[in-house]
Amino acid sequence: MYMKINFWGQEFKANMIIGCLGGLIIAIASSMFGFGGGPFVVPLMTVLMGLPMYVVVGSSLLAIFFNTSMATSRVIGLGNCDFVLFAFMAAGAILGGFIGPQIARRLNPLWVKRVAVVGLTILALMLIGVIPTPK
Amino acid sequence: MMGYLILIFFYLLSANFVFAQEQVEGLTVSLDKQVYKGGEVIKIKGKAPPGRPVYIEIASEKKVQVARLDARRDPDTGKIPYIFYLSKDIPALYMILMPKEVEEAYKIEKAKDKDWSVSRMLLTTGADVAYITPGKAKVERWQASILATILGSRGEKLEPLDDKGNRRQSMPLMKTRFRWPEKMFSPTVKINEDGTFEAEYKLPENAPSGTYTVIAAVDHTLRSEPITFKNDLPWYKVYFPKAGVSLNALGPFLLAVAVCTFGVTMGAGGGFILNPLLIFIYGMPHPIVAGSVLPTVLFSQASGVYNYAKIKFISWKLGIGVGLAMMVGGFIGPKLTEMITLEQYKFLFGWVLLILAAIMFWQTTPSYIARNQKEQAILKEFKRRAEEAAAKKAEKK
Repeated sequence: MYMKINFWGQEFKANMIIGCLGGLIIAIASSMFGFGGGPFVVPLMTVLMGLPMYVVVGSSLLAIFFNTSMATSRVIGLGNCDFVLFAFMAAGAILGGFIGPQIARRLNPLWVKRVAVVGLTILALMLIGVIPTPK
Repeated sequence: MMGYLILIFFYLLSANFVFAQEQVEGLTVSLDKQVYKGGEVIKIKGKAPPGRPVYIEIASEKKVQVARLDARRDPDTGKIPYIFYLSKDIPALYMILMPKEVEEAYKIEKAKDKDWSVSRMLLTTGADVAYITPGKAKVERWQASILATILGSRGEKLEPLDDKGNRRQSMPLMKTRFRWPEKMFSPTVKINEDGTFEAEYKLPENAPSGTYTVIAAVDHTLRSEPITFKNDLPWYKVYFPKAGVSLNALGPFLLAVAVCTFGVTMGAGGGFILNPLLIFIYGMPHPIVAGSVLPTVLFSQASGVYNYAKIKFISWKLGIGVGLAMMVGGFIGPKLTEMITLEQYKFLFGWVLLILAAIMFWQTTPSYIARNQKEQAILKEFKRRAEEAAAKKAEKK
């Protein structure tokens, strides 16, 4: 159940039962609702599996890449991917990927996180129906 | 002379009679134009036998795929059927204009809010006679099960439905697509005493492009010939084939730019915000939203993996180990999206966002920040070493 990992001369033990079980649950949720999953996999690997951040940054991305590629082939197979919508949003996402880091350098990451917490909570309450939304 | 006059009189009478009879048998309908733009009002006129109610069906030729899981407990047997219904023949836009006289019945059904049903509405208002196009939709069905869902199939395919079954099962699918009574029904046909009728219908701004058919009906046998009109999109609008709407293409593009810019700065991909916004702003079906947003994050992930792999900053063992488990999840998840209703999707997604907000809040607490600063310093040091090693290797070559 423990897997030995060598990373830049350091050795770690990773609890793969927690890793695989947690990864499975996160992957089901992320592919069901249509998001990446990075913000959940990183805490899974650092907090629950006890691995240091520098091992996790690249490896977590690789793990969710497996999830997203499989999920992408599935949504296309099930006929639920609107390619026109995808094309316009992918173009927007690429542009956002260039603008984002430029802006991020000038902002205090702590404040960005705080704004995100408030924003996500409002959005969540709208989805759950606590905050009413128009039809 | 006198006889001649009488003959003319009878001739006129009989001619008149024949003319009148043709009108009794016929039902005609016409439009003020043949090409419209989204947001324009369509003026419909026609003539029906006097004293008969007139229903007008407007349906786009563009079709979309709609699916639903019947998980409502059967009141007689007490069992939950878990039958998965899917049709690819649901019109992307649909409307039945009904006589003003049935407004009361319409309002009673509308008052049931989200518990309204298409079949009851058709029955109580009499609009059943104009439910023509979706009634011909081919509906496929599967016996769903948890095991089948995990294995990624829709379940065991059941026998094809007959015409009557297709018609009946198309109705809840229409509700899944259009959701609210006002999106499918409108009691606005004005019928005059002589049988002439007129109605106005405002083509929605996001109406699909292409051809539409209009049919007037007074009962199941007396229908007008179908007539058609076209919806011409202005140059800046695009039809989204799976979502079944026409939108200003700049909208989703700018939305993605804004959300992804913010997403990069806060360290979480755009999917968390993009999905709910697409549902709130455009009212798109949730399987399409999830299915179209997912591939967009694939590219940024791929470029990230590539960049880390270049400097050997990935533990392949860990990444592939957890990745394989996540691949199984990625296989199961997209099937579940189809199985749940929009309400369930919104509710569950809301909780996912609350958990995310809690994680991010935890990341702003002082103890986390102190620990994270150390971690980040180590991360930087290791990354520097990795980059140097990669550069050296490149030099050697």
